[in-house]
Amino acid sequence: MTTFMALAPLLAVVSGALAALLFEAFLKRKDHGVSAMAAIISLFTAGFLIVRSWGLELAYFGGRLALDPLALLLMAVFVLIATFVLLMSLEYAPRRDINLGQLCGLLLLAVSGLMIMVSSTDWLVVFLGLEVLSVASYALTGIRRNDWASSEAAAKYFLMGSFAGAFFVFGLAILFGATGDLSLAASLSGPGGPAGSPSLASVFGLGLIVVALFFKIAIVPFHMWAPDVYQGAPTPVTAFLTIAPKAAGLVVLFRVLTPLPGRGGTPSLLMQAVAVAAVLTMFVGNLAALRQKDVKRLLAYSAIAHSGYLLVAVVAGDGTGLVFYLIVYMFMNAGAFGVLAALSGRGEEHTWFADLAGLGRQHPWLAASLAIFLLSLAGIPPTAGFLAKFYIFSAAVAQGHVLLAVAAVLASLIAAAYYLKVIVAMYMQDAELEPVLDRENPALHLVIFLCLFGVVQLGLWPGNLLTLIRQAFIALF
Amino acid sequence: MNAMTANIPLVSIVTFLPLAGALLLIFVRGESVRAVRAVALAVSLLTFGLSLLLFFGFDGKSGLPELVEHAPWLGRGLDYHVGVDGISLFLVLLAAFLTPLALLSSWRAVDDRVKEFSFFMLVLETGMIGVFVSLNLFLFYVFWEAMLIPMYFIIGIWGGRRRIYATMKFVLFTMFGSLLMLVGIFVLYSAYHRVTGGFSLAISDLAGLSLSPALQTWLFLAFGLAFAVKVPLFPLHTWLPDAHVEAPTAGSVLLAAVLLKMGAYGFLRLGIPLFPQAAASFAPALSILAVVGIVYGGLMALVQKDMKSLVAYSSVSHMGLVMLAVFSLNFVATEGALYQMLSHGLSTGALFLCVGILYERTHTRLIKDYGGAAARMPVFAAIFLVVLLASAGLPGLNGFVGEILCFFGIFTSNKVLAALGVSTVILSAAYLLWLYRRVMHGPLKDPDSLLRDVDRRELACLVPIVLLIFLMGLFPGTVLRKMDASVSRYLDSLRTKAPVSLTWKPAARIARPARISGDTAGPAHLVGETER
Repeated sequence: MTTFMALAPLLAVVSGALAALLFEAFLKRKDHGVSAMAAIISLFTAGFLIVRSWGLELAYFGGRLALDPLALLLMAVFVLIATFVLLMSLEYAPRRDINLGQLCGLLLLAVSGLMIMVSSTDWLVVFLGLEVLSVASYALTGIRRNDWASSEAAAKYFLMGSFAGAFFVFGLAILFGATGDLSLAASLSGPGGPAGSPSLASVFGLGLIVVALFFKIAIVPFHMWAPDVYQGAPTPVTAFLTIAPKAAGLVVLFRVLTPLPGRGGTPSLLMQAVAVAAVLTMFVGNLAALRQKDVKRLLAYSAIAHSGYLLVAVVAGDGTGLVFYLIVYMFMNAGAFGVLAALSGRGEEHTWFADLAGLGRQHPWLAASLAIFLLSLAGIPPTAGFLAKFYIFSAAVAQGHVLLAVAAVLASLIAAAYYLKVIVAMYMQDAELEPVLDRENPALHLVIFLCLFGVVQLGLWPGNLLTLIRQAFIALF
Repeated sequence: MNAMTANIPLVSIVTFLPLAGALLLIFVRGESVRAVRAVALAVSLLTFGLSLLLFFGFDGKSGLPELVEHAPWLGRGLDYHVGVDGISLFLVLLAAFLTPLALLSSWRAVDDRVKEFSFFMLVLETGMIGVFVSLNLFLFYVFWEAMLIPMYFIIGIWGGRRRIYATMKFVLFTMFGSLLMLVGIFVLYSAYHRVTGGFSLAISDLAGLSLSPALQTWLFLAFGLAFAVKVPLFPLHTWLPDAHVEAPTAGSVLLAAVLLKMGAYGFLRLGIPLFPQAAASFAPALSILAVVGIVYGGLMALVQKDMKSLVAYSSVSHMGLVMLAVFSLNFVATEGALYQMLSHGLSTGALFLCVGILYERTHTRLIKDYGGAAARMPVFAAIFLVVLLASAGLPGLNGFVGEILCFFGIFTSNKVLAALGVSTVILSAAYLLWLYRRVMHGPLKDPDSLLRDVDRRELACLVPIVLLIFLMGLFPGTVLRKMDASVSRYLDSLRTKAPVSLTWKPAARIARPARISGDTAGPAHLVGETER
């Protein structure tokens, strides 16, 4: 159904972003609470509109912006993670000279870019969304202007991101030249219609676009920016960056690459390249994480490794597994970063192994939460992380990618080693330093609790969510 | 199954009661150590009591899993499906029996973070029982992996000096094996889907698949690795001495008594029945490894200076015998293996308890620091001797029944391996009795007279085990009769699936029990012979 209502969730978020920024700029009394409230209201409105649009198949702009079930699911994820990040920042931001109003505005702008990305079937619109997201994320990364690490990360992110953007446009140009069409579906059909084999040029163009997306979701060998950016950005922003852009990029990849297998020839070569990239990402990310002394940086590398697992789902063509993993990953990663945010006092962050030593004794709840998030990230049953991996890897095996699955589980073994190292520090070593803790931070603790609930609930009774995701994919294909 | 137990989900209650107790413990104040201990002990005792109902409710005539509960869980074949048969029943009982004793034994040894300790012990109990009662491969794997985590904490927090190294090694070794098993599970899952169009991971459904020999080989290797690490089969045993030595007494007890059994149980429940042809072709190689383990473990035990690592290596040796019997693939040997698993669980558990009692008094585990302890601890000396002799296989005690059945069975399959395997009897007698002589006899090396005799709490830990050692040694029929039907069903299923050759020996030499038709007349007759 073509209707203006298709734009409603997007407009809700954009207007929230503008409102937050305007309040921040023009309100006499410097009360960031107003901006935050505006942002939260707009996120709730967007969430409501997303739920209302379920099953209606709304579209606008001649179908270039379509709220299909997959897009709606992802949009809900973005709204949720943005809410989490906002709640995490409420106390975190003021204590670190971060302008909360700007943070809210930029966060919502990033969310609007993400929404455009996942709801479009046109490459040019996808690029538009990608750029909106990128510009907002550069600014978010560097939002602590007095902190050199934050600024350095922003500069790096900006340079590498622009580079990736150039790849994208270049690939787009070639694709358009080869096919005369910019829709996702057309990029792989040959001159003689959808059934024909795509030309070499269009596959090459698509390859460049895939590389650009790989940059965005930190796939090896295009991951160099990621550890610094994830470490340098303020912790709530890191939680956002490790989850949301990854989800959007992977869904775009999934939309375009899933029809690939069975085409033979050059396209299947592209798929093999994706499989190799997945293996490389899992191993490089995990091996590098093994050597880290800083838990935040460790989680940064683990985020890279998780991109690799998610790419396995793309290779296996398992959309349900992909979206389920993304949702589970959102809960466990946001939770883990939430605990790290809780451990940071004023000013400097305290996320070294030594800072975590003895946490199990001093703050049993916080330590237990982090332990559960880490066990879930490691994929140990009965957490949700295990189930997510189970679905993805078993889909890979069902599609005949047994070696890929073997590589994935071996990578998970390496991952288990470093996640357990963090638990060793928390529970099996004694504290050397007095931990610095945000005691009065109910919003942050609410986020941690919700994430914990998500990880446990989705690990034991994911039934409803899985049904919902499966419905979305039945509607899609 | 009597009418009373028909309607309550007894297996689930036994499995999850400890977990419920653990969750309850969260709400008990950690400072009131007595309350924490009392709750944990009460829950585990209640679990044991209910597991006895399992024993009496279990009929065992059909050989099929009984008290089965089946409910959809995650959909697409990932179901909640539990039950007990003659193979798993006694392992459940073993876990339920030893957990309260292990908790009781740590009342003095663990005085730091008692609440967390009790919590993890109870979670561990749920994990152990869950592994044995699962009839769905997915559920099995969930328990199999989940159980690592409480043990990881138990060794890592309350262990000895090198505890972090030991616990990481334990977890990573075990996980390495089981992750490849996970890929094997995926392959089975998709194979079942390809063949039937449906989804199932029920073990009985998967056993019905006929897989190509090449696929069987790969899958057997994947599953076998997971189980061989756990047993542990030589040369994958290196995590075991570290984990045992560093673990606190309660951890060592459960590790040796129950966790090691999971490996052998995995072979009996999954590795062999699902891939019978591959199992038959790998049996010779695995049997040789088992024999190497028997001899190597025994020789290593002889030269250990630390009592705990002596017991640990004796486990390697004894579990080697169990594996040798399992891979003889005949009735007597399989029953022997099961019986030996139980006996080893009891006697090694008791040995670790005894070592723990000595350690609590003197804070050393080195054999050379002891001597003449019998003079100061006469009651303890008597119990220790019984336990040692049970482990060494003295007739009249439980170890003997298991060993003799194992040897009878192995002998019918392969005389050379049986002859080599018998060395365990000599070796274990040597290292155990020598241990006893050095620790308990000779000149008293106890100037400060730290050695007090066992108190009532310690007696309460040890006496139940000693009683069972005698009971199982004198009346093995009670246990074996409940196993018979399940074991012969297990072997029959191998025969019908792999008509070619069941063992690496000509098929004619497979020891077949007298044909069983519904009742257990044949095997009971066999048992009668051994008893005499």
